Formats: sequence, structure tokens, C-alpha cells
Amino acid sequence: MFLTSDDAKTIAGKIIARSNADACVVKIDGGEDYSLRFARGGATTNLAISETSLRISSHIGGRVGSVTTTRLDEAALDAARVRSEEIARMLPVDPDYVAPLGPQDYETSARYDDNAAALRLDTLAAQAARVIEEGARVGVDTFGCASSARRFEALATSAGLFAYDRRSEIDLSATARNKSDRWSGWAGAHQFFAGRLDAESIARRACEKAAHDAEPVDLEPGDYTVILEPVAVAELAFWALSAMDARAADEGRSFYARPGGGALIGETLFDEKLTIRIDPADPLAPEGGVGYEGVPHRARAFIDRGVVSSLYRSRAWAQKTGAEAIPFARNFIMEGGDATLDDMVRSVKRGVLVTRIWYENMVEPKGLLLTGLTRDGNFLIENGRVTAPVRNMRFNQRLGDLFANIVALGPTERTWRAAGGGGAAAAPPMLVEKFHFSSKSSGV
Amino acid sequence: MAPTFAPLRDAPERADATNASRFALDRTALDRLADLALDGARRGGAAYADIRLGETLREYAQAKDDRLEHFDERSTRGFGLRVLLDGSWGFYGARRLDEASIREGVARALENARAVRPIQGAPIALERLPAHEAEWAMPMGVDPFSVSTSEKSDLLLAICASARDNGADFCSASLSLAREERLFANSFGARIRQTRTRVHPTFTATAVDRAAGRMASRDSLVPARGAGWEYVTDAGLVAEAAEAGAQARAKLTAKPVVSGDYDIIIDPTNLWLTIHETVGHSTELDRVLGWEANFAGTSFVKPHMRGDLRFGSELMTIVADRSQPGALSTIGFDDDGAPASSAEFNIIEKGVLKNFQMALGQAHYIGLSASNGCAYADSPTAFPIQRMPNISLAPNPEKCTLDDLLSGVEKGIYVVGAGSWSIDQQRDNFQFGGQLFYEIKDGRLGELLRDGAYQGRTIPFWNALDGLGDASTYHLDGTFTCGKAEPVQVAPVSHGSPPARFRNVRVLNTTGDE
Repeated sequence: MFLTSDDAKTIAGKIIARSNADACVVKIDGGEDYSLRFARGGATTNLAISETSLRISSHIGGRVGSVTTTRLDEAALDAARVRSEEIARMLPVDPDYVAPLGPQDYETSARYDDNAAALRLDTLAAQAARVIEEGARVGVDTFGCASSARRFEALATSAGLFAYDRRSEIDLSATARNKSDRWSGWAGAHQFFAGRLDAESIARRACEKAAHDAEPVDLEPGDYTVILEPVAVAELAFWALSAMDARAADEGRSFYARPGGGALIGETLFDEKLTIRIDPADPLAPEGGVGYEGVPHRARAFIDRGVVSSLYRSRAWAQKTGAEAIPFARNFIMEGGDATLDDMVRSVKRGVLVTRIWYENMVEPKGLLLTGLTRDGNFLIENGRVTAPVRNMRFNQRLGDLFANIVALGPTERTWRAAGGGGAAAAPPMLVEKFHFSSKSSGV
Repeated sequence: MAPTFAPLRDAPERADATNASRFALDRTALDRLADLALDGARRGGAAYADIRLGETLREYAQAKDDRLEHFDERSTRGFGLRVLLDGSWGFYGARRLDEASIREGVARALENARAVRPIQGAPIALERLPAHEAEWAMPMGVDPFSVSTSEKSDLLLAICASARDNGADFCSASLSLAREERLFANSFGARIRQTRTRVHPTFTATAVDRAAGRMASRDSLVPARGAGWEYVTDAGLVAEAAEAGAQARAKLTAKPVVSGDYDIIIDPTNLWLTIHETVGHSTELDRVLGWEANFAGTSFVKPHMRGDLRFGSELMTIVADRSQPGALSTIGFDDDGAPASSAEFNIIEKGVLKNFQMALGQAHYIGLSASNGCAYADSPTAFPIQRMPNISLAPNPEKCTLDDLLSGVEKGIYVVGAGSWSIDQQRDNFQFGGQLFYEIKDGRLGELLRDGAYQGRTIPFWNALDGLGDASTYHLDGTFTCGKAEPVQVAPVSHGSPPARFRNVRVLNTTGDE
């Protein structure tokens, strides 16, 4: 169920008015989601869902109890409120307790489009049809998922805060596999505005990459010059960003911890070409205005020309350390450069062009050592030309080394969903050296 | 293959009458809503329809050091209606349980099926499953949702204190509880009511050497289970936290693993995840057919390999089942209405691939007649897809202890607890970390090692299995959160095994600090 700002404010206001707690926080979110999957040129599963969820957090004597319900009738909301108060009374006092926020000034984040919000399965089926037709045209099998959504989030506190944010989404991704089942390609995109999704381009790129009859080349494990396409760069950047928790750094449990104590804020840890920032007002990949705990998102860099400039920090840790609370970001922009993908390929004597990566996991968080594999479009570059498909490889790569060895960046573009929670990211293609492939994979 | 609406009823079943009181939702109201949906689907022209209605209760509490950071209860009610119209699926789900929403759901599910028809390709074809009328409730001692908030928060804080008192600098501990209550009904005439509960207490103890810039952690080895509160209180978490705190501290100064090929013995606390990733996922028929190609991936296993593929050594028998007591995927019927008895089969038998896991509508692709009961929807508002039952490595029928396994290793490594994990999209190349690595020297356990992970390829790895513990060494582990599908659904599943010995496996030092 998609609630308007007024509806959400009315519901939250009633709960807060009846609260017997010292303070009360109400969070409501929900919306409508549509999804259509297809495989081997035909539909498999689809769904349309309408969801709403409401959480009441009661603060009593420095303790917080929370109850979430999907029922919005008055009896259910009263029961949830009473139960949240019961829970709070039974908890131990939180030594780092922080009271709810009062009114905040949020920046506008343009992420809602009436055209995208009105999309249903017939439109998604038309997008899937474009991929299926392209696959038939070039002789490859096609698989994919098209989805759309309109979602809202509302936050109200007994201290007077009310925040409401909404977004529409449209998303298409396509995998293509050649008929011999020996090679695959992929392309995908996510947008907040319906008109910005180019299904034609996604279909063409995925199918082009898969339409290879050549036997894939095997490479030996080792260090390679690699060109990572934007979707792969965005995933890697998200891992580096998601490790930027101030508390973990202050406590010595993070790559961003200073030896001997403290966080490495202000230190140059990466190549000066690396900037990762967020901005609610940037139309390319706007972060929402309302951050976790109601703290406003502001335009800021987390990594600025190679220097660690911010770490995210919960309100409790901010209070304890006397620093600014900074909410975790899921939508981010990695700044690009002026090299085109073709320029990069021309500059490589021998290397690998990577379309997409898969199943990353942090092996050693202190060293930001990440493992994962290439997937759906891996190509050998020789003497400035893409010469053959190359079999997939596992990488074991320290992200600090990766982002310290940037040779060139292309223009930043919106990518498919970033790792870890469906955020919107924008990233450039990236040319790096000494990317470590640790073993071969036969996975196609 | 042609579905019809004629009901096929058998005698009502009651798996566990003593637990029937655990159904909290109004049965009459749910039945009325199910009738309304199925009748509406039939009148709308659907050849088949099914509906899942119910509620999921969750509780999550987390402590960090001396703070209880979160304590949340969550209840989610809703329904999901699936219709088959002219060979296309249509699905609609809502987090509401009322007649108006059901009526809207019927119209929207039919509308969705019509919307998909232009790209349907081959029409969806379903086998006719027997229609059961049944109730099933998971046997359980103390309902964990009845235990007081203060008892739970005290336990979490005690775990953190125990770890920190014994060597850890930091500790976080959490408790996840879930209870699903579902009514399933379909147009074959099935009407199945089920409820089950699961619990997952866990913690991470971390030690830091700031001067050396090094940290080490040790997660709890207590697995998630389908169980009541007695499982949590009997798990010895406070004592384990003390041990974990000391081990995290010891890992800081342990001898680093030297990369190389080793004979390794893998404890069940680690091997469950390897079974899950290499065997569980590779033998899912939807992946084999390509239906997950765009996300979770396909499989190196192909349909024609059933009955022929030498997957592992003769010691390897992998059993699928939905009846194992305490397991996370244990239930009376799957989310297509197939009984647990259909989900009891060998996937691998003495090293040879014997069966795939299937959901409704898949069997005919490989020349079989019916699903083997491997469907699950992670909420009533999710489209049911093929998911794992409990999948386990059968123990050695011959007597074999851990010491027996160790005695056959001159130079090797013993791996305990699950660490980081990764596997390719066809389930071939994998890399698994662990919680604890021990040297094996001349047939005996030696020193604690640090920074290890093993890497391999599925078929060679399982063919390198040459030693297996017997039933006395068997241990059941598992996860709450196996992800699959778009949109992602998470499923609970257990995997049991004895400790197992593998020859010549590649072991890495993950830090390069050798």
C-alpha cells in the first residue's frame, strides 16, 4: 500500500498522541512492487505485491523497545504500541541511549516519477520482449528480470520530527548465453525515472557479448591489467564504502583504523583519482534526503581524491565520541575521468575486460581482502584489441591496493543495483594494474 | 499434464495434535478467504490456483559489549495468490487479510497472467499433485516467543561479558526467532495448515592488536535450528563465548597457514556450508534448466547426467529430507502442497548423481511425473520457487571417529566453523574460510593456525573424499538466510554431516603473511 505524506502523518500522529512512553518514534514504509522473470525466451515467474509496515519504538528511562506490524487498524496499532512499551520497561538501561531527533531540514531528492510509479506488468513484459527478440535475432538464449516499484518511507518522532520520502524505480537486467552454452553476456540498468531506462541498449549489449562462437581462452592465475566495466566498479566501490564505519575504525576493527588507535580520517589511502561521494541533489544517483535514524543526508565525499574524508557514524557513537552523526549511504557516485572504454582497451598490451563480478565476500576485513569471480562477459585484450572470450576467474584482491592502482577512469554512468541493498550507484569504467586472479573457474 | 479443478481428497491428517493450539490465526476466517480466492480464480478462467495465507512472527535482539542495541518484534500478515491462466502464471500478494484485498488480489493476479501472455513462450504445464487436508505443527518444548524480554537481553549481555572476560576486546551477540503460520489451499482441493518455529542465537568475539594492526574474531559454532527456547538455553552459549574470547585472542599470535596442498579434515560446523553451496545449489532443477541464469546462476550439472555423473567418491551419499527433527527446512508439506515424504530421496548415492530437487511444474522437463516437494515461499506474499529441503552428507556406516580420520594424515589441516564463502555461478570453483584452523601432524592435532581458506572445484573436491566419520560424529548445522531468485527470497535450511577427510586440497593464506 502506498501512503501519501498526509496519510502517514495522520497515522503516526495518532500513535504518538496515545504513547505512554518518555518518547516515541514511528516509522512507516511500504509500496507496490512488480517483477517479471524470463528464461530461455519465455516467462517463468511474476508478481505484484502491495506492502506496508509500521514500527513503533517506545523510549522509557533510557531504554528502547520496538514492535513492527503490517496491520494498520487502530486495535492492532494500539496493541503494538502497548507491547513496545512493555518491552522497553523490561530491558536494561542503555548506557549510550540517545533521545529521538527533533525537526530536521532535509534536502530534496528527486527520485519519484509518476510515469515510473504507474508501471505494471504489461510494460515489464514489453521490455522483456525486447530482450527476447534481440536474442532471437542474434541467435542466443535470453534470461532476465524486469521490475518496477513505487515506495515510500515516513518517520515521525514525539520530538516533532516528520520526514517523508518516496521513490519510483524501474530495473531491467538481461543475461544472454550462446546456444552451445559455452559463453554468456550481461547488461542491466536501474533508474528512478521511467524514460531513462534504455531497454533497447540493454538487450543489444547483453546479446552482443554472448554472441561468440569462439572457444574461450584459459588464462593462468596471476596478476593482470584489468578493465572493469562500471557495474563491476560500483560493486567493488560499495564494499570499500560499506566498511567505512567510524566505530569499527575507532576500535581498531577496520581497514580504516589507524595503527595504535583512532580512525584514518584525513589520510591518503587511495589513488588521487578516487572520489566516492553522495548527494541527494545529484540526479545521476541521488541519495535520499532522510538517512538512518532521521539524520539528514548531506552532499559529502567519503573518499575525496584518495583521501578518507568522512566515515559514517551512528547517533549513539557520535554522542559518545563528540563527533557528527553521518548516516550510512546506499546511493553513491564514484567520480570518473575522461578516458573512454575504447581508449582504455587501446592502451592495454595484454589484459582482461571484465563485465560483471559475482559472489563477493570479505575474506579479511582488516585488509579489505575481497574474493569473488568474474561472470557473464570476460574478454582477453591483446595489443589494444579485444581478441577472444576468456574463461572466468576467481579473484582475491585487496581493495586498498585496487583503488591505489587506478590507471584511468572513463565517464561515470548510472549502473544496475549496487551490492548490498539495492541502492543506486554511478561509477565509471576503470583500468587498473595488478588485479589478482587466484584460480580458474569453468562456470559460464 | 492438463490441470483441472476437480478436488482429490484423502483422509484428514494430523501430524502432531498436541501442538494444534499453536495455531493463533482465526481458522474460519482464513478458510473463508481461501475459498473466496480460489472460487474467484476459477470463475475468472484459471486452470489452477493456489493461495498461501498467514503470519510470520519475528524477534531480533542484539547486544554489543555492555549495551543492548536493539530489541524488535515484528509480525507480518498477508496472502499470495497464484493463478494459471491460459498457460501463464499471474501472482498477487498483499500484506492484508481481508475480503476486499482478496477480491482485488484475484483481479490483479488474473490481470498479471494476461499481461505476461505475449512473452510466455511454452505454456506452463503442471502435474496433478494429490490434494491433502492436513495440519502439521513442529514439535517444540518452550515457545521462544513466550520467554520474557529480560531473560533474552540478560542472556545476550552475559554472552558478551563472558567473551570479553576471557580475551576478547569486543563482542556482539544476537538472537533471531521466527515463527511461520500458514494456510495453503489449492484448486486441486488441498487445505493444509502448518506452523513451525526456528531460533538462531549467535555471537562474534573479536580481539584486536592495535600495535600490530591486526584483528581476529571467532563466531559462535552453535547452529540455527527448528526448535524451541530449550535449544537456546541448552546450547552453552556463555561457556562457548568464554572459549571463543580466548581463541580470538590466541588467533592474533597463532602460526600463519602456509599456502599449499594439504590433506584436510573438515568439521561439520564448516562442511555444512560446502555441502550447501556445491551440492545443494548445483542440483536444483530450476538452476539446471536456466531459470536462475540471470541471478543465482545455472549449474555445471545437466539433466542428462542424472544416474551417470560421478560426483564424488563412493563414501559420498547426500540425502534430502524434510522430516529431520530440529532441522530448519523440516515441515509437513512444501509450498506447493507436496508432502514431506516426497522430499526424502538421495541426491547423490555412493558418489553418483541420482536426483534433482524439484518444485511443481518442473518434473516433466526431465521426463519425471511429479515434484519431489522442494518448493518454498519466504513469505505469503512471495511467489513459491524451488528451494532446498534439508540436505545432508550421510555418515560412514563403518565405525570411524575423528581420531581415526586424523590418524590417516601425516601433514594436514583441520578446519572448524564457517568463515567467508564464495562460489561461481555454476557451482564449480569455490573458496571457503573457517573459524579455527589446526595443524595436523603425524596423525594428531597440533597448533592453532590463522588466516586460512581452502579453494577447489566441486567434482575433484568430492572425489578427493577418502574418510568419513560415523553416526556418532554427525552434527546438524544450517542457516536462516539462503538467498535466491529475483526479488531475492531467503530460506532456512539445515545440513548435517560427520567430519570428512579430503586429500590434496589447495589451502591459502588469506593475508599473504606467511
